Amino acid sequence: MENAIQFNTISKLFPGVKALDNVSFSVRKGEVHALLGENGAGKSTLLNILHGIFPPTSGSIDLFNTPVSFSSPKQAILAGISKVHQEINSAKDLTVGQNVTLGYEKVSYGIFVDYKTVNTEVNQILKKLNCDFRSEDLTSSLSAGQLQMIEIAKALFHHSKVISFDEPTAALTDSDTQTLFSIIRELKSKGYTIIYVSHRLEEIFQICDRATILRDGQYIKTLNVKDTDRSELVTLMAGRSIIENTHKKAGRPQNAERILEVTEFSGRKFKNSNFFLNRGEILGFFGLVGAGRTELMRALVGADEKTSGSVFMYGKKVSIKNTEDALKLGIGLLPEERKTQGFMPLMNNLDNVAVSSLSKYEKNGFIVPNLKYNNYTDKSAELNIKPADPYFMTRNLSGGNQQKVVLGRWLSTDVNILIFDEPTKGIDVSTKVEIYKLMDKTIRQGKSIIMISSELKEVLSVSDRIVVMYEGNIIKILDNDGTLKEEQILSYALGEKDNEEKTI
Amino acid sequence: MKKKLFKSQLREKNVLLALVVTVIIFTILNTSYFTVANMVDIAKQATINGIIAIGMTFAIITGGIDLSVGCTFAITIVVVGKLSTAGLPPFVTLLLGLATGLLLGYINGILITKLNLQPFIATLATMSVYRGIAYVITGGWPVLGIPNSFREMLCAKLFLDIPVYVFIFIVIAFLTNILLKRTRYGNYLTAVGDNEEASKLAGLNINKIKLAAYCICGMCAALAGMVMLANLGTGEPAAGQGYELDAIAAAAIGGTRMAGGRGTILGTVIGALFLAALKIGLIIIGVSTFWQYIVTGVIIAIAAYLEIFQEQITLKKSIESK
Repeated sequence: MENAIQFNTISKLFPGVKALDNVSFSVRKGEVHALLGENGAGKSTLLNILHGIFPPTSGSIDLFNTPVSFSSPKQAILAGISKVHQEINSAKDLTVGQNVTLGYEKVSYGIFVDYKTVNTEVNQILKKLNCDFRSEDLTSSLSAGQLQMIEIAKALFHHSKVISFDEPTAALTDSDTQTLFSIIRELKSKGYTIIYVSHRLEEIFQICDRATILRDGQYIKTLNVKDTDRSELVTLMAGRSIIENTHKKAGRPQNAERILEVTEFSGRKFKNSNFFLNRGEILGFFGLVGAGRTELMRALVGADEKTSGSVFMYGKKVSIKNTEDALKLGIGLLPEERKTQGFMPLMNNLDNVAVSSLSKYEKNGFIVPNLKYNNYTDKSAELNIKPADPYFMTRNLSGGNQQKVVLGRWLSTDVNILIFDEPTKGIDVSTKVEIYKLMDKTIRQGKSIIMISSELKEVLSVSDRIVVMYEGNIIKILDNDGTLKEEQILSYALGEKDNEEKTI
Repeated sequence: MKKKLFKSQLREKNVLLALVVTVIIFTILNTSYFTVANMVDIAKQATINGIIAIGMTFAIITGGIDLSVGCTFAITIVVVGKLSTAGLPPFVTLLLGLATGLLLGYINGILITKLNLQPFIATLATMSVYRGIAYVITGGWPVLGIPNSFREMLCAKLFLDIPVYVFIFIVIAFLTNILLKRTRYGNYLTAVGDNEEASKLAGLNINKIKLAAYCICGMCAALAGMVMLANLGTGEPAAGQGYELDAIAAAAIGGTRMAGGRGTILGTVIGALFLAALKIGLIIIGVSTFWQYIVTGVIIAIAAYLEIFQEQITLKKSIESK
């Protein structure tokens, strides 16, 4: 079979780090090729080289058996290599067509964009992708799944032969993911070559033909997906055997003391929500993206306004007007968008961990640097933040460690209720396990957790009870007693109601 | 701990170095530049801009700006001028002057936090309103005959012919430096300017924090206004035009990040001293006023460029250390 891409002894040196070390392998034309590895294994570096974002230190790339070298992403796109980004970068105020053709618009008389041609062309592409929106629509009105389609439409617009997907499902719900997969299968059948990067191994088995594993910048192995299994891939990625799901609910404190109760809570994108939280439990919130889970939690901690409803803590009605009130009452939120909402990019680990608990390090109104420092060393040891250096800039940490810094911030306060929004999004397998263990440990300290997650397996394996939301409503609250089935939860998340509830 | 101290003070060291080099160059060009009297002049010259710039630093660190400081300055001048000519004791008028600045800053803060206006637009609007109020209060005429008791309170010469207000400048700089570096509020301020959304989710009351920054900014402008009033002995409602730009320049040269999240009082104070040293030096060597504008502007641009340059270096270093 013809090779679409051949990587020849690619090495990439960053100051002090060998990000890629003599990596050679090939991607066949018309296959879906998975690129696997933990964070820092070199996947992104390799993709960045392929897409012309920076050149390799040594080595070369052959595209359809012709040596190529790109000095800019534009050159790579013109040569037929496109990337569907992990973080979706669309200009919100432009139309779909404008976004798809951005920088490559058809122009008449030298200056005027020919929108008629643009929209006709883009609509043809969107039709091919079975999209339910049009080129003329504003991008701001689209969902995460639809934004992903724009990225794919871009690749088709540029007549790319090779398309890489970097964590494409990170922001997608399960149903959007299935749509994406059917499109990837269709692209494959039309002869497109796909490079697929994901932390979610089950996806690899669903759509990939072959998989290449990188570890610490080195090429480990390429194998046929149908000849392998999950545990082999995990072992190859980690280089050691790890226990995949260590979360055990056994032995947790199980007293049903209600510490939080929310009644008839309504606001933007959610209405009449009723639920409660017990001490020492993990309450999972499952739903499709856009079900209103994040909005509900943001209003609960006072980050957004609610329109009606009440919150009770320890049986007493409380008023939460802003996040300061929530902090004082003991509720903290760990946002889904860590990079933009989780931490201060100009601050180091020490300051990022301390910012919510500064009053604890005060003497006579002044902050005592040593107290702040000691708190950090305690927390970084407890959470295993890497690197532990208090003066390391948080923005340079990996996603998992950034999550630990934000968790460390809340554990430094007296907060008893932690709300995790997609706690393991974009985090590699072994760090995921670490985060689950930390959540479990937090529970055992007598705190309670609300966890929003779009990963069914995660919700099922971590939660004590599961709240399912659909289009702003709480559809069902389920006891996770070990008998729940994935399909059952999913059908609630898709809006299906119980028979008895239908008659009401 | 040591490493961090060094790193965070790198910018101040650079500005200090630029200040020293400027003084040396002017001294070589004209030896009468480096005299005690002239150094005191530089400090006096730097005081008004320096005090305004300290307040401005607070506004800029939150990620905002206050364009109305020159007009807050003017209102305070005419209000305090009227009050002191009416016979109120100097110390009472000083407190009322600060209250005026607090109120005007509070109005800016409310527009920015409660009405969610862009700081630039909100203070552009109040800039015009405050200037108008200053004119309305006096009918456009200056307030004449400021009593000596008020002038003496701020301008009395202490040792080496240094007036009281220079010491006030030093004390204010010292206090605000502690406020910014050693208190919870200072940390919150930096956090809000760094990432407002993350600060909010970390449980900080961002509106309260930003509101306080504009109040401090208003009070600093008011204090500077009173120094001017005491110095001149007349209260001009047209005073302080363009002072907001000088203040922004001092903060920028001192390394305050214009997008917020980073800035120090020490840097701003050195920035103000640098601008004053430059201005007086250009006068001493006989450069015309027209050219002074050009030189000052070029130097601000260079300072801003060095800021970017420095950020790139720290970025590189952080990659290396990774």
